[in-house]
Amino acid sequence: MGRRGRRPIAAALAVVLAASVAVWLQPADAFAGVTQVRMRLPLKPRLPLRGNERVALAPFLLVTEADKQRDKRLANLDLQGEFHRFLKKQMEKKTKLEVVATPPDIKLPTQSLTELGHATEFWRSVGAAMGAEIIVSGSLEFKVEDRSGYKTEEYISPINGQTYYRQVYVEQTGFLFDIVFLVIDGRSGEKLLQDEFKDFRQASSRKADELQGLFENLFSLENQILNLFVAREREADRYIFTD
Amino acid sequence: MRRAVSLALLAGVLATACTSYSSTERPSSQIAFGAEVAKKGLWREAAFRFEQALSRDPKNARAHNNLAVALEATGEFAKALEEYKKALDLAPNDNYIRRNYARFAEFYTSYTRTTGKAAGGP
Repeated sequence: MGRRGRRPIAAALAVVLAASVAVWLQPADAFAGVTQVRMRLPLKPRLPLRGNERVALAPFLLVTEADKQRDKRLANLDLQGEFHRFLKKQMEKKTKLEVVATPPDIKLPTQSLTELGHATEFWRSVGAAMGAEIIVSGSLEFKVEDRSGYKTEEYISPINGQTYYRQVYVEQTGFLFDIVFLVIDGRSGEKLLQDEFKDFRQASSRKADELQGLFENLFSLENQILNLFVAREREADRYIFTD
Repeated sequence: MRRAVSLALLAGVLATACTSYSSTERPSSQIAFGAEVAKKGLWREAAFRFEQALSRDPKNARAHNNLAVALEATGEFAKALEEYKKALDLAPNDNYIRRNYARFAEFYTSYTRTTGKAAGGP
């Protein structure tokens, strides 16, 4: 009885010990936990500014001017005015820069973006007239494109619950906004920076409103535009291991 | 029989205690603590913990990955890039590290393109 009684104890102990040794010997990777974290990435300003400069908003070249004849929706849109208003408002709200608009009768010396970047004399005179340390100009392009076509869509039958694929006809409107920024030194008239920002939005109906499309483009580019002048943040998700 | 069960349970508890034993000397403890503070947004403390883990285990891909993320969060992008590369060298098939690196590379490319320099560099 004594020998028989001890056997189950020894067996149980052996099992538990074997299990713990197995657990102990497991590679660490087997227990590696992972979690996703959201962080804000600090973005340094692209221009080395003090932050309180006087900035003059000069006119931008309008690349889509010729399309206005063909597209009625563009004809009703004051792209220059809307963009200036948006830029001034955002810069005043989110930076400490003093923003002034150049007089409406100011005329750009050329319609070529490359030449505009080298028009040192012109920019120096604008800078002196406005008392501006920085001048912002460039080019704007806004396009509205109606697109339609067939798209493959997943479909679950309510009768048999099976998944099928079917072709559906979709009507969409695309809004393309392309901005080239020219930032000029108001004292020397020299180009400090040139950069391009592009955004494409798609609305799920044909004949979507062009003004709404324009502002959707602008709001999605807002962070990048402001990052020219001030530090901004960008949200990002990353994985970190927890052991 | 009851005694056998009690002994088995005791042994089990001891074994579990042994496996969950954690010491601050162990890299995994430093990583765990670093991850906890990182979740609260204390990235500098987190970076310090991940560095501690690496001083004890320089070939720990997870610690390199976590340190890269912490460096990224504090704007040390050039150093983050180095750490991501080390993590990938050590664990080239780890999907989490690869995804992190891909997202970072996308961001970093556009960032260096716009700033014209390796940001966060010396």
